[in-house]
Amino acid sequence: MPERAKMRKPDVKVVILGDMNVGKTSLLHRYTEKKFKDTVSTVGGAFFLKQWGPYNISIWDTAGREQFHGLGSMYCRGASAVILTYDVTNWQSLTELEDRFLSLTDTANADCIYAIVGNKADLTESSAQGPVPEDGQGEQESVGTELRPTGGGSSSGGGGGGGDALHQKQVNQDDALALYARVLRYKGLDGMACPPGESLCFETSAKTGYNVDVLFETIFDMVLPSILKKRREGEPSTVDLEDCRVPKSIKGGCCA
Amino acid sequence: MEQDNPGSANSEDVRTNEASPVTCPADTDPLPVTCPADTDPPPVTCPADTDPLPSGPQSSSGCEEQGDVPLLENHIQSEETQSRPEDELEAGCPDVSTVTDCSTQREDEILEQDSAPDDVSGETGQSAPDVVSGETGQPANPDGEGHTHPDGEGHTHLLPERNSDSASAEDGRDDSEEFVAAMLARSKLEEQGLGTKGSSPPLAETGGPPPPGAHRDEDVTGDAWRAHRKHVFVLSEAGKPIYSRYGSEEALSSTMGVMMALVSFVQSGDNNIRSVYSDQHTVVFMTQGPLVLVSVSSSGQSEQQLRVELRYVHNQIVSMLTEASIARIFQTKKNYDLRRLLAGSEKILDGLLDLLDSDPSFLLSAVHCVPLASSLRDSLSQILQKAITPNLVFSILIARQQLITIVQEKTVIEDARLEPSDLHLLFNLIGASSAFQAGEIWTPICLPCFNPDCYFYAYISYLDPPECTVCLLLLSTDKEAFYAVAECKRKIEEAMMAQNALAAIAKAHSYSVSQVGVSDLRHFMYKPFDVPDNHRQLTQFTSPEMESPYSSEEERTRLLDLYRDLHSRIHSSSRPLKLIYHVAERETLLAWVTSKFELYTCFSPLVTKASAINAITKLLRWIKKEEERLFIRYPPKYSTTPNPSRSSRKAAEQHDSTDNGFLSLL
Ligand SMILES: Nc1nc2c(ncn2[C@@H]2O[C@H](COP(=O)(O)OP(=O)(O)O)[C@@H](O)[C@H]2O)c(=O)[nH]1
Ligand SMILES: [Mg+2]
Repeated sequence: MPERAKMRKPDVKVVILGDMNVGKTSLLHRYTEKKFKDTVSTVGGAFFLKQWGPYNISIWDTAGREQFHGLGSMYCRGASAVILTYDVTNWQSLTELEDRFLSLTDTANADCIYAIVGNKADLTESSAQGPVPEDGQGEQESVGTELRPTGGGSSSGGGGGGGDALHQKQVNQDDALALYARVLRYKGLDGMACPPGESLCFETSAKTGYNVDVLFETIFDMVLPSILKKRREGEPSTVDLEDCRVPKSIKGGCCA
Repeated sequence: MEQDNPGSANSEDVRTNEASPVTCPADTDPLPVTCPADTDPPPVTCPADTDPLPSGPQSSSGCEEQGDVPLLENHIQSEETQSRPEDELEAGCPDVSTVTDCSTQREDEILEQDSAPDDVSGETGQSAPDVVSGETGQPANPDGEGHTHPDGEGHTHLLPERNSDSASAEDGRDDSEEFVAAMLARSKLEEQGLGTKGSSPPLAETGGPPPPGAHRDEDVTGDAWRAHRKHVFVLSEAGKPIYSRYGSEEALSSTMGVMMALVSFVQSGDNNIRSVYSDQHTVVFMTQGPLVLVSVSSSGQSEQQLRVELRYVHNQIVSMLTEASIARIFQTKKNYDLRRLLAGSEKILDGLLDLLDSDPSFLLSAVHCVPLASSLRDSLSQILQKAITPNLVFSILIARQQLITIVQEKTVIEDARLEPSDLHLLFNLIGASSAFQAGEIWTPICLPCFNPDCYFYAYISYLDPPECTVCLLLLSTDKEAFYAVAECKRKIEEAMMAQNALAAIAKAHSYSVSQVGVSDLRHFMYKPFDVPDNHRQLTQFTSPEMESPYSSEEERTRLLDLYRDLHSRIHSSSRPLKLIYHVAERETLLAWVTSKFELYTCFSPLVTKASAINAITKLLRWIKKEEERLFIRYPPKYSTTPNPSRSSRKAAEQHDSTDNGFLSLL
């Protein structure tokens, strides 16, 4: 990352959650560095500051063991957006989102937006494999282990079952949409007042770059109002983040 | 280093010695050379008694290879009047092939060690048993492992109750399993607390029972897999694979099943399996709570060394989960698949094992410091001292896996210090997370030596992206403190910028051995352990760059292997040595341990013993002169904690919070 994080106050906080190995780090790496390379396993949480126009967006990449360490609430505290990530070839990774990760978001902002992201689409969708349309460079360091299927790889039989898990699509867009609806319900949010599921469910490939920029740019656009609101209120942007000892109920309370 | 300035004392003594070998009183006392390393030399009148160098290298010929023998023998004979210890040394390293062909010798060594002291005394007429016998009762338990049986160790048959025909005939078995089974077939099992001393019948039957739940769809891993120098496996007591250095755990589950069967078979007889020796391999088992760790090594390392390595592996796992959590997990669910919690951390263990093979810090249990002008180090420490926040307890600056400085919270330092081994785990963690060069990491980390049951929260960030050589590590006891700690980093960054400290650090790098100015000296490792105000806080060592002819990976490994071998003999639990002069094919090595330091030196093969001694004298003098630069002398402190008890070793309560989460994962 070329720019330094030095002395910049984050305007807004985005958290990427999801099971180990679904590609959270790869997604962030693809977005920030326009590259896909073999990532090193994430240790704890990694905090990044991304300059987005005039705004500083802080992004937490997490390891997937937050619940074990009781750190999820810390990463999520005051978040304006949570990216719930699963692996389209792994049904379990979707259910884990609901079972293990959703409750971590209790400390997020009341107006937090939730995106549901199915990564590794290149393994199941031929459309996600091609040269990257929205990513001008599209350079691809295929150090990753799995090679995508060369033919017939775009079978989209849902539900999983047997077969090569790597190439079998186990989670369909509909499943993600259904999860999105359940997330809103869990949050006690009004489905009508929230962005529609179609705009916040993505299938991406960190490997090819498919939909990755779209994902992050969409989310940043959507959190812009909360950035502006915060700036308007003249609230020192760090209070939200630094005042760690604020009981979480203050923030979580509005959701109920 | 040494208070009494032994550098110069030594040099004089050595010269005196060379001139008239019999003058130094210490020479008449064999003990400084051969007594167990952990025992202080018996009272000797020579003022230099704690530095037996004068008598040592000259009088002793550790393990000399055939080629050099005539010359050295003359040398030895000329000194014979004052050098009886040499015979003991000789006995301590029974023959040259122990060094050059450890794998074949080792077995014999182990089997013979009970009787060896007698042989020694028989041969030499020396009172060697006095020196060594104290250790021989429990040679296999050098590291304080819990299951020492007072009645010593013995060797017994292992007769796993299984059906051997089916095992070898079954085509479903993978290569690796055969590999282990075959290894066991050729080997003897060393068991502890069983049988009578000295009896060592070979392993009567091979393999193990068909592992429970063996998968049929395993990868066949083949020769390449077997050929690895060192395998490390971690499994749960229920035999569930947790980690394998090479190959996927799934593919190796039956191999691990065999291992677990071995472990539990022996355990069923109230014993612990400790090691298995074969022609090429040493297999070391270690049980740590609900985890079983196994090392299968053809590296020629001693069991003791392999055991230390396994302990590191265990500690690294504990660093991610804490010992208490691991225990509770397996209490709750005996056959829990720990990989669910460790998934993604394999690379951290891989990295650790690579470091164990390549970084002598682990061997020496000491921290390697970046050589730095003490004024610069002090000003960096001051920067760290000033950038503090509540609950911050350690501030550590690291460059390329070497320590620049460490600053500690006052109340912490009173009842604890960071052990080198905890620091090594931290260094490894940093190495494993290098992908996050631009980010700032916040991660729970347990430091097992400090307290195996609770977490620190580590803030890790590089100060010089994109090069990412200088890393800041801040440890807090408050898991919510990320933003406060990150703010400390900004302050540190600013202050360093103002002083242009990064540029100064960049200029500081490892030194060349040529700076010592001794032509035959190629490399050395020097670890002081008698430095006031220093060692109580941090054990360190210094070592020059490995230069030609050790610049290639291969040669580097070879030199490290030689060092490891010397180290294992110096620290042998049965026959610890104080001094080894070892003439190898392509170099000559001298290892020497005193009450003040441990030193390993490597010379060109043509060096004579006299010039080696001379060189060491010069080296010690040089280190003395440079010690301000080579070592951290006075690690500074700060005070951040309003309520001191929070940071104390016992009061950290962080692990409680994990209770909420981990049970639901089961
Ligand atoms: N084929 C494919 N592999 C991916 C993709 N994203 C990540 N991976 C691979 O999945 C593994 C886990 O990725 P990582 O980003 O570390 O996952 P994280 O644990 O969620 O951070 C790595 O081996 C990646 O190379 C993707 O979009 N397509
Ligand atoms: Mg990751």
